[in-house]
Amino acid sequence: MIFASLFDVFRGKAVTIPPMDGALRPNTALDDSASEILEVSEPDNLCASAEHVFYSSGHDLMRLEGHGEGPAAAARFDAPISALACSAEGDLAVGLDDGRVIIRNGTAERSTLGPADFAGFACPTALAFADAHTLWVCQGSATHRPSDWVVDLMGKNASGSIWRVDLASRRCERVAADLAFPYGVLPDPQSGGVLVSESWRHRLLRMGGGNGAREIVLDKLPGYPARLSGGADGGAWLCLFAPRNRLIEFVLQEDAYRADMMRSIERDYWIAPALSSGAAFLEPLQCGGVKTMGIHKPWSPTRSYGLVVRLDPNLRPVASFHSRANGRRHGITSAVERDRRVFVTSKGGNAILSLPVMP
Amino acid sequence: MTPIIEMQKVTKAYHGAPAIKDVDFDLRPGEIHALLGENGAGKSTLTKIMAGVVEATAGRMLYQGEPVQFATPSQALAAGIAMVFQETSLVPSMTVAQNLYLGSESFLNRLRGVYISAQQFLQSLNFPVDPQATVASLGAAKRQMVEIARAVKHNAAVIIFDEPTAALTPEEKRHFFALMGRLKQRGVSIIFISHAIEEALSHSDRITILRDGERVVTDDTPSFNREKVIRAMVGRSLSTEIYKARRTSNQLRPRGEMVLSVQDISMANVVRNNSFSIYEGQITGVFGLIGSGRTETFKIVSGIFKRDFLHGGEIELRGRPVRYRVPAAAVKDGIIYVTEDRKLEGFFETMSIAENLYSGLLAAGLEQALFVSRREMRALAAEWRGKLNVRAMTDNAKVIELSGGNQQKVVIGKGLVQRPRLVIFDEPTRGVDVGAIAEIHHFINQLADDGLAVVVISSYLPEIMNLSDRILVCRQGRVVEELSPEDATEEKIMYAAVH
Repeated sequence: MIFASLFDVFRGKAVTIPPMDGALRPNTALDDSASEILEVSEPDNLCASAEHVFYSSGHDLMRLEGHGEGPAAAARFDAPISALACSAEGDLAVGLDDGRVIIRNGTAERSTLGPADFAGFACPTALAFADAHTLWVCQGSATHRPSDWVVDLMGKNASGSIWRVDLASRRCERVAADLAFPYGVLPDPQSGGVLVSESWRHRLLRMGGGNGAREIVLDKLPGYPARLSGGADGGAWLCLFAPRNRLIEFVLQEDAYRADMMRSIERDYWIAPALSSGAAFLEPLQCGGVKTMGIHKPWSPTRSYGLVVRLDPNLRPVASFHSRANGRRHGITSAVERDRRVFVTSKGGNAILSLPVMP
Repeated sequence: MTPIIEMQKVTKAYHGAPAIKDVDFDLRPGEIHALLGENGAGKSTLTKIMAGVVEATAGRMLYQGEPVQFATPSQALAAGIAMVFQETSLVPSMTVAQNLYLGSESFLNRLRGVYISAQQFLQSLNFPVDPQATVASLGAAKRQMVEIARAVKHNAAVIIFDEPTAALTPEEKRHFFALMGRLKQRGVSIIFISHAIEEALSHSDRITILRDGERVVTDDTPSFNREKVIRAMVGRSLSTEIYKARRTSNQLRPRGEMVLSVQDISMANVVRNNSFSIYEGQITGVFGLIGSGRTETFKIVSGIFKRDFLHGGEIELRGRPVRYRVPAAAVKDGIIYVTEDRKLEGFFETMSIAENLYSGLLAAGLEQALFVSRREMRALAAEWRGKLNVRAMTDNAKVIELSGGNQQKVVIGKGLVQRPRLVIFDEPTRGVDVGAIAEIHHFINQLADDGLAVVVISSYLPEIMNLSDRILVCRQGRVVEELSPEDATEEKIMYAAVH
């Protein structure tokens, strides 16, 4: 093994995809055990305040009402919502696809931060309040909007950054740079910093603490991590919005092919991860490898998948909920725990789901 | 319609153990008859009797209404029955034409004439094969074509194909089935053994299913569907007698620390991007059909085979990357592999039980004495004979003289004296009597209870379902599915293994 890294220079470094087993053993919980509480177009960005659970759907900020009542519209914005956070004090931070971050209190708009405040970054992918005066902002990319995430991935960018915003003074401080699409952020009381999911590198990082170090807390994830949220037991919920597979990893290694594909093929049909798949005959990954005798094989290679992972207080995976290749609840982008249930947005499956949380 | 072949109450026993028992079978003229069954169901034995490769112990065979008994394959071939084996019987160093005419040469042969004749013959079958090419230079599909051409050339009225599509690509399979259709049009009767159920359902006229050496059902293909075929293949009335009922989640062992992480390992076309993990304190069952790469994968893990140098994947043992070039290094790291072929790889057959066990200790470098110590050898043999309940007159009994079950216990003991942390059992109860099976199972369970990581590779579904705390299913060189024994059924496992 001593010479392995030397050989890698000539033979190319092997890219391996960790198996989904152990705590990540596939099941069909998202399809079979979860109750669908709402069918809604591309739901995303679940967050909970003391009183309400909010989510976004396109340009709309929605509020989930309790007791079986339908959702209520909370606000509508002039751009699609790309990130959302609630503070304990009832403030809302809303990131928009055009790069703005709007802070609201109730229905009133308190302040708006633009790309200029973030040194030109216009890709708010995740937000989290550390306290009433501090907001953490993930800027996924320096060159793309949040909705262009697939271009950022296939371009193999690593230009994302993490910002700490002092809301009183509107001072934005860049805490970390050169991240490969940070897509989830969760304040970490232990270190005083944050946990960040770095999507294109398939890992969770801890950063922004007192010592300024960047520490890998969980790596070699079998998918692309998205939002993080806190668990009632002191752990966390991690959503993985798409799976890794050999074909996509191969395409990511083949620069000329990938450039040609991106230039000449419609984005929906790229060999790339997706929030949902199987809708069009032009998509890659079809035929006998996927379906045999009319049955969609659950273990077949797929561009989209549904996966929520429960992490313990040490951030080790302890349980997972899946929607496999033949499932419908794909593209899980956010989750939030409330009253011993976890609410989940299946952006690819156009549904908000609810699962019981086992002790 | 008089069957072209009729087998009546045919039995074949090897050393008293029946491989097939009282099997009735008939093949009609001009039909494609699929023969299905699990590994070891007796498909090959039945067809080998028809082709004169083995002789039946009891029962009789009628060919075109006349009782026959072929002593050799050439007798069967002369009568019009040809068998195309899964591993082709061609001579690799000879040309295609020479192989076609092998056994039917004239006293003096003109090579040019042989090539022209072979060319014409291959063209008449629409086979794009160069008669002057050596067989060694051909791919699997073209070798199969030459084998088929040889069968047709002998004007065989019956052709038996044993797993003909196992080595073929989808395109080659299409050509093969087109050829099978043409042969049928010419009135040739075909027996077609396959693990691919959908191939049988799509291309045969009738299906016969064997299980545990007995015929379960024969019927017209339209009356079958995949579920019915699988149920007939795997359903066992004896399952609950030999093996206990399925375990519930309370009876399954929880997983311990991850011992082994295998990520995307590859070896030629046999193991392809295989990924899985193994945990201590659990039995991980690995199921797959022959050729699914189960054995090869674990031989790579234990240093017997080497994975691909380029992009061969990664293996981590307790978080440490490893790449073994010889098994000794794996043994030193606590990995042992108990082979599926005990006679060839498992023991020194002319050595005693004690010497075999002691050789395991020597291989791991765990002997206490500086030189070979007879006393240490005897103590070791006494200890492990007791632990494993090896039934022999003395420790000096030669292993070759023991029964299959006791031989297997010696092989297991030879591995376990090396104090492993990860034990890989490959077909631990193959060729073992029922009593020894229970003992071996008890011992495997004990290892897992003691906290060792245990892997059991088996083709026998009840064994996998009974022993395992988690079940990995392999297909085409990789693990395609993981099931928990509480929600696994034989049908589910088989579906994953086949598709």
